[in-house]
Amino acid sequence: METREIFRHFPLLLQIIFYVVAFSTIGVFIYGFYRRYKKYRKGRDAERFNNLLARFGKALAMMARHSTIAKRDKYAGFAHWLIFWGFVVLFIGTVIVALDHDFLRFLGIHLLQGKFYLGFSVFLDVFGVLFILGLFMMMFRRSKKPPQLDYTRADKSATIDRKGFVTDDKIFLWLLLLIGITGFIIEGARIAADRQVMDLSFERWSPVGWAIADGIDKAGLTASANNIHLYTWWFHAVIVLFFIAYIPYSKAMHMLVDFANLMFKDEMAAKRLPRVSEERQKVAMGYQKLEDFTWKELLDMDACTKCGRCHVACPAQNAGTPLSPRDLILDLRTYANDTNGVAEWFEQKDTSGKQPKTLAGGVISQDTLWSCTTCMACVEACPVGIEHLTHIVNMRRTLVEEGDMEDMLMDTLANIGDYGNSFGQSERMRAKWTKELDFQIKDVRKEEAEYLWFVGDYASYDARIQGLSQKVARIFRNIGVDYGILYDGERNAGNDVRRVGEEGLYEMLVEDNMAAFEEANFKEIFTTDPHSYNTIKNEYPDFGGEYSIYHYTGLLLKLHKEGKLKFNKKLDYKVTYHDPCYLGRYNGEVDAPRQLLEAMGVTLVDMPRCKENSFCCGAGGGRIWMDDSKMDKRPSELRIEEALSLGNGVDHFIVACPKDYAMFTDAVKTSGNEGKMVVKDIIELVEEAMGV
Amino acid sequence: MNIIVPIKQVPDLVEELEINAAGTDLDREWLKMKLNEFDDHALEEALLLKDEQGAHVTAIALDGDDIDKALFAAAAKGADRLVKVTGVQAGSTHEAARAMANVLGGMEYDLVMTGVQSVDDRDGQMAVLLAHYLGIPHISVVTGVQAAGGSITVHKEYGGGMVAEFEASLPVALGIQAARETPRYVPVAKVRRASRDANIEEIAAGDVSVSAGSAVAKMYKPETGAGAEMIEGSAEEQAAKVLEILKQKGIK
Repeated sequence: METREIFRHFPLLLQIIFYVVAFSTIGVFIYGFYRRYKKYRKGRDAERFNNLLARFGKALAMMARHSTIAKRDKYAGFAHWLIFWGFVVLFIGTVIVALDHDFLRFLGIHLLQGKFYLGFSVFLDVFGVLFILGLFMMMFRRSKKPPQLDYTRADKSATIDRKGFVTDDKIFLWLLLLIGITGFIIEGARIAADRQVMDLSFERWSPVGWAIADGIDKAGLTASANNIHLYTWWFHAVIVLFFIAYIPYSKAMHMLVDFANLMFKDEMAAKRLPRVSEERQKVAMGYQKLEDFTWKELLDMDACTKCGRCHVACPAQNAGTPLSPRDLILDLRTYANDTNGVAEWFEQKDTSGKQPKTLAGGVISQDTLWSCTTCMACVEACPVGIEHLTHIVNMRRTLVEEGDMEDMLMDTLANIGDYGNSFGQSERMRAKWTKELDFQIKDVRKEEAEYLWFVGDYASYDARIQGLSQKVARIFRNIGVDYGILYDGERNAGNDVRRVGEEGLYEMLVEDNMAAFEEANFKEIFTTDPHSYNTIKNEYPDFGGEYSIYHYTGLLLKLHKEGKLKFNKKLDYKVTYHDPCYLGRYNGEVDAPRQLLEAMGVTLVDMPRCKENSFCCGAGGGRIWMDDSKMDKRPSELRIEEALSLGNGVDHFIVACPKDYAMFTDAVKTSGNEGKMVVKDIIELVEEAMGV
Repeated sequence: MNIIVPIKQVPDLVEELEINAAGTDLDREWLKMKLNEFDDHALEEALLLKDEQGAHVTAIALDGDDIDKALFAAAAKGADRLVKVTGVQAGSTHEAARAMANVLGGMEYDLVMTGVQSVDDRDGQMAVLLAHYLGIPHISVVTGVQAAGGSITVHKEYGGGMVAEFEASLPVALGIQAARETPRYVPVAKVRRASRDANIEEIAAGDVSVSAGSAVAKMYKPETGAGAEMIEGSAEEQAAKVLEILKQKGIK
């Protein structure tokens, strides 16, 4: 009969011991799980229980395909896929054994026999091999010491002990590997011993076990096979049971937490920041203590596997500031666990002996929080749905509430409050740039127009950008687009004010702009500013403002396809294109600018980091209103170097964002690359290609 | 310690200013007002003292354009009491000081701190006059106040970068040039909350007749000169040209 005995030759006492130990370890597991559950229950409501079934399905699909893990790291994605599916199949196999032996048996049912047993055997053997292969691949990867797995902290290397993290990584990897390998040895030893006394030829369906049995024979250990089986079996049992107990106290917990975190992820995280309810405003605008976090944010902290993708993607980290999104989340985790008295077995330890009194500005330093450019690279890179940016903005809201910010930022916020623009100029000067045009742009507050052009602060007030705004005005007029502007009725759209954490000012700006929109007469909006684009598109709806809005690249492409925008001259530049964070990553608009460039005939060579993976210029999230002199190297300079490294005659750096134009024209100079790279707004190419 | 901070709104110089038809004042119809910068420093210094050692801070202002906004902002920053002095159209600092002093006379105070000057006052005498009407000593052009047990130590700035340290017993009136720290930013949400929750007491000014002071006879924009001449050429040529012009103008 094709089957096997579960507790092979074991006396009853040993079997009883096994069950006692097994149940106690399951108890340890359940206690650890409960501790975490209790921790999450203390979080505020997060409103993530809508569309539960759809959420579950989506998370399941993501997990099954490993789409988020394989993104931009095929090797790690594949290795994890092998480990994951190996583990799942072996786990299901074990569950079937337990079910068969501990339950169904008493109903007179025996699943693991005959053809089912043979199929079961071969299936588990194959996945067991894949499992071990995946683990070896990961081990090899770690041995190469990739930068994202370096836990060293530039900001507090002397006062933080992270050896526990490394130990945890090692234990996790070795436990899994030993479980896999000993499993096969047990199988081989059993086959080697039993085939001496009975016909086990059907066990060829366990090809790995069979091969190991052959190995045992060749090594002359056939006589000891029974002993090898017994000791390995117990060794295997001990480490498996230890593993079960270890899960909720270690990084192994990511197996459960990360599925939940993906399931409860907000697709609009970072793109649409949370509002602060009237109720909540009475307590606090931002986060001052652990109780302020929602349960999803507490889950975020535990979800981190320290894969380091956010750490290497972060422009602030690249620029040498103290911010690392990974370390921010890990510090919050340690803080949450310490506060709750539920430390994991392998935590980082602060050796400074100082106990931070506050959360924002203490547990997470002010410098760290103010370093964020809110480019969203961390959120986009995270394979497990962590929403770093929301944490950061919530803590910034507290800093703003307490006035903990640099003078320049204070002045800018005061200016925006007083004049509606970050330049501190009179609101009446907002449309001064139109004076140099030889035609009058419609005032949509007085005349009807198809499009409202939301100009934005930089395009209105910055002397470097005003010329570009005039080009946009002329080109759209040439094409015959019926548009108007709000003149002095427009205010800063508030995207970056909100990301600075000045929520009250943001709300005021939204109200002012929406009131201006209400009075004006237009069908749709377009803007050259990706920042305004994002907040009007994604965040104004939360305030009841639903508008159809285009980024000018999208509108230009539409007009080109409709035959209204004609390119009469083929441009033979070799260019690279910088995706603005708020266009590409935030809103997935990566094709329109590229199609436009293609239509104009230029040769586009993308930088290694492009589209959703674009590298921030460093201006976002209010950083453009803060001091950047303390950085090792500005993100904009790193980006220009990235563009220069393309070589092959690429000498044009095309942007589609007013702030980018300002940042990169500066960066070319400050990095000493003047003359090597020309920064141009896409509108300049459009003008040239139109040949007017 | 009771600190009273008289504040006022002044025309915002970021905006273009127009003179009224009579030619005696700015055209105030479209004028945008903002808190006098020096008063902001006076308030900040008061709040710093409050943060350091506890104090009761009263922000007080004469009724006028947008004054509620300024008072609420002061409350949002940390002022404990808001007072608006009604029934007065102060034409000069003298009248304003008299009105303010009338009200302050009925209040308890150890320190009266106001801005050393404002863009629209003509003499920069607010603190001095307040002290006069209240019959207390004053120190003006102050750049930092330290308080300890019934007396204060202040720094007063003189021309040419000289600084003197004064010790004064309370009560005293101070004209603040600059606070020790940049005036704090007050988040909009806090101002909104203050506008909803804080209370502005209104107190009548009483008799504000004064025997001194000045009145504006004529207000006009600076007259533009005859225009500029750009001097071109090499450095030597330019220098020679400048010398020639200076000689022509009779400057030797």
